[in-house]
Amino acid sequence: MTDEQHAIDVRDVHKTFKKRVKALRGVDLQVASGEIFGLLGPNGAGKSTLVKILMTVVRPSRISGTFLGHAIGHKPALQHVGYLPEHHNFPDYLTGRHVIEFSGALAGMLKHDRRTNANRLLDRVGMTRWASSRLKTYSKGMLQRVGLAQAMVNDPKIVVLDEPTDGVDPVGRREIRDLLLELRDEGRTIFLNSHLLSELEMVCDRVAIMVQGQVSMHGTIDELTHDSRRFEIDCVGDTPSWIDSIEDATTEISGETCCIRIRTDEPHDIQPVLDRLRNDGRIITRVHAVRESLEDLFMRAVTDERGEVASPGGVVEPRRAKGGDA
Amino acid sequence: MTPVLALLVDAYRLLNARKIFWLTMILSLLVVGSFSLVGIDEQGISIAWWDLELFELNTGSAGYTKALFYKVIFTEFGVNIWLAWIATILGLITTASIFPEFLGAGSIDVVLSKPIGRFKLFLIKYITGLLFVFLQVCTFTTASFLVIGFRGGVWEPGLFIAIPLVTLFFSYLFSICALLGVITRSTIASLLLTVLVWFLLFIVQAAESSLMFFDLMLEQRVEGYQTAVERTETQLAKVEDPDDTERWAFLHETLEKRKENLAEAESSTASLDAWHTGLMSVLTVLPKTGETIELLSRWTIDLAELPEPMASTSRPLVNDDGDFRPDRDRLGQDMNEARRARSSWWILGTSTIFELVLVVFSAWLFYRRDF
Repeated sequence: MTDEQHAIDVRDVHKTFKKRVKALRGVDLQVASGEIFGLLGPNGAGKSTLVKILMTVVRPSRISGTFLGHAIGHKPALQHVGYLPEHHNFPDYLTGRHVIEFSGALAGMLKHDRRTNANRLLDRVGMTRWASSRLKTYSKGMLQRVGLAQAMVNDPKIVVLDEPTDGVDPVGRREIRDLLLELRDEGRTIFLNSHLLSELEMVCDRVAIMVQGQVSMHGTIDELTHDSRRFEIDCVGDTPSWIDSIEDATTEISGETCCIRIRTDEPHDIQPVLDRLRNDGRIITRVHAVRESLEDLFMRAVTDERGEVASPGGVVEPRRAKGGDA
Repeated sequence: MTPVLALLVDAYRLLNARKIFWLTMILSLLVVGSFSLVGIDEQGISIAWWDLELFELNTGSAGYTKALFYKVIFTEFGVNIWLAWIATILGLITTASIFPEFLGAGSIDVVLSKPIGRFKLFLIKYITGLLFVFLQVCTFTTASFLVIGFRGGVWEPGLFIAIPLVTLFFSYLFSICALLGVITRSTIASLLLTVLVWFLLFIVQAAESSLMFFDLMLEQRVEGYQTAVERTETQLAKVEDPDDTERWAFLHETLEKRKENLAEAESSTASLDAWHTGLMSVLTVLPKTGETIELLSRWTIDLAELPEPMASTSRPLVNDDGDFRPDRDRLGQDMNEARRARSSWWILGTSTIFELVLVVFSAWLFYRRDF
């Protein structure tokens, strides 16, 4: 892909805080234009640091690559970016409309355009009724909706959302999901940072999982779960004697039922097995296509060979003893 | 330009939402309103319905003009006390939170993600912080101008110089407050430390004024003993009878004593001069809050306008017994003239350089920081 096709293309991103805490350790990440990209990871994996580097809130220790075709940190490029930070704290003396219009003004929008967009977005996030109320009267979910609206006011090419459904009720979450899909259909790129794996699974075209400052896995959910795809065939009776001759097949007996697992994502591959089971006169009770959920994938990514979950936070270098060996 | 205007409008909304802003505005107007209760005529002054006959304060024998009277009220009470102390403290309380709140987690992220450079953002935010005092002084000065005009019949546009002067004076303190706000990110810490620095500045300036006073007094002392030496030498020369050895010896002894006194005074003056020069060097690099405010009376009140001081009894500074008694009226005038002799550029220039250094340093910290 060329730079134009990549909304985000960063390589070798490093960030060390206070010379010891390595929050990012050589992150490579590409986000294609017009896709919904999900960034996952446990607390302290470096997701927010990476987002903040893209948004020029945090200065990288080392970075190369482009953001909307410009070098990282190129301020004018941010005119085409919408951003909703995690734990945002808009001034409570502002109204919802003020927040949206203020955000538009900072992006350099003219008054007429930001007013028009504010009205449209207030309606789109269901906040028209409370547009003139001060933020201090808003619930967490309402604040989140206004936050989303301010991130979209400048008609951005890319929207970066850090935990956008935080504090939002199930109905609101669904509305936000629908909104994200609409934005993608409009050709915008969405960069999502979230802990809610099931929601990401529903909307993301591609995901990356970060663990301790590095990208552990990335790709489409189909690509990432490809190896885990299998079919499960439940039938009555013991393990068929011929099952060993089937490639990538395993069995498990549970009571009077035998579960045959075949690692493939092609239904065509299991037809011979089904034929033989029928020829044997077996009763087939269930045929089920199985793949890893994003949660399984996530847990696999954050768990090491010993089965221990990665500790939260960046990698901390031990202090060097003065005059001693490193 | 749009982001700059947006930040200015946001600053106004911030002030508007703070009750202390409006409280200060109302109090300012009450202070101005009190000017309208004060009048001056040939007999003395009037406060509301009370007439006070004052020998030293009237437009008759005391030689005051209405214009001078109201300008003195405006500068001495309105600016020196209200704006430069009480309103400034209220202003600091209101604005101390601007940077700590702006830099707080969740607040700064959205603003930094916009296409505005950090230096520019910091400077705009800094300037908007001065909006509080600017609006207050504009209101106060305009109201004073109208009240003094209608009440006293004196239309004095020179009063409006208070707007840039008081705003500049406040900006010295706000630059300290902004730096502390960027470093500590705590409203309380930045406010208290700013007030502490202000107090220290006051101490340095008061110490310099005291040294100047004693310096001038010692100069009078030197002058007094010089005159006494000359007087004694003249007396000694007039002793015509060479046999009058008793008087000659007395005068000779007196002359020696006066010379000793003179040498001692000159030595003290030199020593105090060194201290004064040292303190002036320190003061040069610090913001001159008091003198900046004093410029208002320097620029609006001409010394020639002031009533002639009553002729002081011409008595020698050192009497025949050799005791030094300073001429306090002259000392006051000398102090006034010495302070007025200081260049406005020195006062404003060095103070502004101090402010610029602090602002650039704060902006640099802001520029380099991760949020």
